[in-house]
Order: sequence, then C-alpha cells, then structure tokens
Amino acid sequence: MLENYFPVLMFIAVGLAVGGSLLAVGRLVAPHRPDPRKNSPYECGFEAFEDARMKFDVRYYLVAILFILFDLEIAFLFPWAVVLPDIGFFGYAAMMIFLAILVVGFVYEWKKGALEWE
Amino acid sequence: MLFSTAVFYVFAAILVFAALCVITVRNPVHAALWLVLSFFTAAAIWLLLGAEFLAITLVLVYVGAVMVLFLFVIMMLDVNFEDLRRDFRSYLPVGAAVGLLVLLEMVLVIVAGTAGAGSAGSLPAGSNTQALGRLLYVDYVYPFELAAVLLLVAIVAAIALTYRRRRGAKVQDPGAQVKVRREDRVRLLEMPAEKRDG
Amino acid sequence: MDALIAPVRDLLGPAWLPVWTLVKIVALVVPLIIGVAYLTFWERKVIGWMQVRIGPNRVGPWGLLQPFADTAKLMFKEIVVPTGANRYLFFIAPMLAIGPAVAAWAVVPLTDTLVIADINAGLLYIIAMTSMGVYGIILAGWASNSKYAFLGALRSAAQIVSYELAMGFALVAVLMCANSLNLREIVAGQEGGAAHWYVWPLLPMFVVYIVSGIAETNRHPFDLAEGESEIVAGFHVEYSGVAFAVFFLAEYMSMILIAVLASVLFLGGWLSPFPQLNDLAIGGFAPLGDGLLWLGVKMAFVLLIFLWVRATFPRYRYDQVMRLGWKVFIPLTLVWIGFIGTMMQTRFAPMFH
Repeated sequence: MLENYFPVLMFIAVGLAVGGSLLAVGRLVAPHRPDPRKNSPYECGFEAFEDARMKFDVRYYLVAILFILFDLEIAFLFPWAVVLPDIGFFGYAAMMIFLAILVVGFVYEWKKGALEWE
Repeated sequence: MLFSTAVFYVFAAILVFAALCVITVRNPVHAALWLVLSFFTAAAIWLLLGAEFLAITLVLVYVGAVMVLFLFVIMMLDVNFEDLRRDFRSYLPVGAAVGLLVLLEMVLVIVAGTAGAGSAGSLPAGSNTQALGRLLYVDYVYPFELAAVLLLVAIVAAIALTYRRRRGAKVQDPGAQVKVRREDRVRLLEMPAEKRDG
Repeated sequence: MDALIAPVRDLLGPAWLPVWTLVKIVALVVPLIIGVAYLTFWERKVIGWMQVRIGPNRVGPWGLLQPFADTAKLMFKEIVVPTGANRYLFFIAPMLAIGPAVAAWAVVPLTDTLVIADINAGLLYIIAMTSMGVYGIILAGWASNSKYAFLGALRSAAQIVSYELAMGFALVAVLMCANSLNLREIVAGQEGGAAHWYVWPLLPMFVVYIVSGIAETNRHPFDLAEGESEIVAGFHVEYSGVAFAVFFLAEYMSMILIAVLASVLFLGGWLSPFPQLNDLAIGGFAPLGDGLLWLGVKMAFVLLIFLWVRATFPRYRYDQVMRLGWKVFIPLTLVWIGFIGTMMQTRFAPMFH
C-alpha cells in the first residue's frame, strides 16, 4: 500500500510547494510599499467602516448540510457501482430501495421550497 | 517495514499535534483548519493499515463536506466567543464528567483490543473497495437500508429546523421563465407599406 | 534508458525512490504549468477570433510570448495585504487552492504505462482532491476582510458544492459501466474503437459532467462569483500580484484536469478511435495508434468547448445556477443511474459495458 501511495503523498507536497514557492518569489521580487489608503479593503465609493465578516442567510447552511447528506449517498454508490456484476439482482434491488428512500427526502426538499432562491 | 513504521510515527506525531492545536488555539477558524489537518493525517494512517477506500472516503466526506459546513457555520454565525468563554467555569463540571466518560471508554476499548479481542485480520486480496462492496450490499443489507432511513431523517430534520420561507421576498421562478415562448410575448403584425408624402 | 539510470540508482541507494519520484513529478508538473500558460493564450486568441478581433499578437512571433510577459508582470507587482486581514490565512488560501489542483494529477494515466501512482481507488482520490479546492476559496474570502470577497466566496462555495454532487453522480454512472475505480482499467474497458467509448451509453452524463466541470471551476457562464458588474471579482478581489496568479493557475489547472478526466472517462483516453490505425506501424511505431497524441487531441477538444461556451453564452443568475444544479442535474443523474442499473439486469447489459 505504502509503495503505491508514496508518490501521491509527494505529489501533495509538491502541489503545496508550487503555491508556496510562487508566493515566496512574489515576496522577494515584488516591491512592498504599504500605505493606509492602498491597504484598505475594497469598497465602492465609501470608507470601509466595519468588520466584513457578517451574519449570513441561513440558506447557505442548508446547502452545506444537504451537500453532506448527498455526498454520503455518493460514497455509498461508489463501491456498489464497482461490484454491481458480482452482487447481481439482490445488490441491485438493495440499492434501488436505498435510492427510493432518499428520493423521498429529495422530493420533500423540493416541495418544501428548500431548493428555491429568491 | 522499518520505513513504514517511521512514516507511521511521523503521521501520528502530526495528528497528535494538530489535535492539540484544535483545542488550544483561540481563533475558531484556525481550530477548524487544524481539525482538517488532523482528519487528513488520520486518513494517511488508515492508508498505512491498508484501508484505502475508507481513508479516501474519510477525506472526501469529512474534509470535503463536513468541515466545509463547520467553516460556514463558524465564519458566519458571528458567535461572540468572549461570552462563551466567560461561562467556562459553570460548564466545567459537566464537561469534565463527559471527558472522563470518553476517557474511560477509550481505555476499555484499548484494553479489550490488546487482550486480543479485536485485532485487524489479514486483508482480502484485490481492491478493498470491491471486498467492501461485496459485503455491504449483500451480508449487511439491513444496516445499509437503515443508513438510508437515517439520511432521510437528517434531510427532513435539516429542512424543518433551518428553513423558513421569508415573507415579502420577491421570487423569480426560473422554470416558468424558461418555459416562456416567443408567441406569448411578441406579436408580429402584418401591415401594408404606406407611402410617405413630402 | 535502463542502462543510463542503473548507475545513478546504485549511487543513491535508499534515497533513489524519492528522488526518482520527484523527477517524475517535476516532469509532469512543469509541462502542465506551461500548458496553463498557453491555455490562457489560446483562450484569448479563440475568443478574439470569435469576436472578429485579432487577440494578443504583439509579444514575440504571433504573440506567442504573451503568457510569459503576463507572468513576469504579475511577478513584479506588489502583493497588497488589506488591513484587518488574517495574514496567515491570507497566504495559506492560495496554497490550498493550488495544492489539490496539482495533487489530483498524481493518479491521472497519460498512457497505458505512463502514470505516476497507479492506485486502485484512483477516481475516488481525484474526487476527494477536487472537493478540497473549495477551502482555498472560502478562506480567501474570509481572510481578506472585504465584503465583496466574502460574498463572492460564499456564492462560489455554495455553487461548487452543489455541482460537485451532480459530478459525483455522473461519475457513479461511469463506474457502473467500468466496474473499477482505477483510471487505467476504466480506459481499458473502452477498448475497441470509438463505438465502445462510454460517451455513447452515458451521453447525458457526459453533458452533465462537462457543464458541472464548467460550474465547478467557476468559469463563464457560471462565473457569478466574479460577476464584474455586481461584486467586482469575487473571492480574490483583494489578491494582487503573484498571489492572484496562484489562484489563476489553480483555476486553469482544474480546467485541464477536468478535460483530461472527461477524455479518460468518456472518450477512451489515449485509445485511438479507429483501432486499425495501430496496424499502420512504421518500424514498430504507429504514429496514429494509441498514445499521448489521441489524449492530447481529446483534451484540446474538451478545452475548446470550455472556451467556446465562454464566448457564446450570457451569464446565469444565481437562482438559475442553483436550479440547474439541484433541480435538473441531480434528478437527471439519479434517473440515469436507475436506468443503467435496470438495463444491466436485462439482456441489454453488454451494451453498457
């Protein structure tokens, strides 16, 4: 297992290093002359006056929660799709029941209007 | 074997350090990111055990989905952490009791594990996604369907708890907009050409 | 080749494996970065032609040195860190954006033998890596302490996770045909000419995959996180100089990744569309047979779709984007998974393998 995944680990390290080294080059080569005007966060026509991190529409949480649930569903579908020929009709029926139960949830979500944005 | 042992200790050290940072750093967003790192290293340790499907699923589900929700909540809920910290003492007894209970359970698991009850068996040959799939959808089909019901309950609960239709919000229905035909909106008129004088 | 490598291998001893792996990784990543540079150039040229303009043509012959001029310019620009920004996260965010985009390439097979890590769960690994790309965006938006960046980050995060689901379901359909998570085996399953590619039984999934890919990388017409006219540039308004370039690199890297995955999963990867071409060998080498050439052609085709779409369609509105993802793509993919599953229980099963 380790022999197969060792290059993967190194690849992740290289990926982060690409970003890190580019930023480091930027810090070294580029000029650095900060002033209060330049450093103020972007605003359209007036001074930035407060912390920009604010409370937000609950709908975004809902999207995130639904994402987790459907992601889990995908995680269950993956091994099923791989072994589909081995497990035959029984396995097929098991997954169709699984999906049918979740489609109930999806329909509820749809009818309730949770998928709508105004 | 020696090399993989060394790799294990490196990951274990990172995991313990990251986990300690989760509970000690002050900024909650930093804490969430340390938690991401500890999930990641935990996945690497599972890989060393040969559980490749579970390890990558851990990254996919916990790092890719659950922690994204955590970050959303922490970033946007705008909780005042100073207020929470002030009540630290009043929560201390309950917290300590739960902590001790968890510790006790972990000790029991470890003792039982080393006594030989739950040692990991040898890995099945071939891809372990396949091995898992052959078991999950046939031998463990009942718990598998239960998982679906659990997810259904979670979907319904999430919507029932968080979703409120806002009053007076203006809604556009893209479905209806897509269905609009030219004939409903534009009328082409036939008109005879007129001669303009002058 | 072996005769050249052997003495070096003996010299390095146990350090050989990491060094050799690193060489292979660099040999893949450097052409990729150059590919990104020329993809930006190609994009500007194609859009220019479509709009009856010339496109960049000043730097070097036919403007070919333009991407390098751009890189050099960005390199020497100041990186402005806004006041009130979280300094660590401000610099970690671009790294988290590019890290997974590069790392996903570890398991991508370029030909039958040309693959850096040939792991069993290859496709799962790629999905896990692409799902991490969203961190760079959320953190960039939050760390900048700017309302525009924050809004843009929220929008793109919600959009990305929504389309990730559609993408995941589309990939499940591919797995049902291939019965393997290993990308090399998935390509091997499509052997035997263009008629055996998975794009035919899975045509709706291919469309869903490409469109989700466009939405996932926040590209036009789904680039409302950028929405110049409303929220200026989305999550990276506050990034300048190289820090901005890193986000840019990450976006184009993911585009190329989606193109290579679309080719490998649906279009038969490096396989030639006509297996007869393998017999047209000159001295044991078939120039038009299976190989990198075909993978390149297919990737170029998918990337051209990306650019073409950008030059053609007007931008979506946010509610339309979410509707497309949740109310069109997810039901469509679920129905198609059910359909394929059912067909596989009948005597038509071989049509789907």
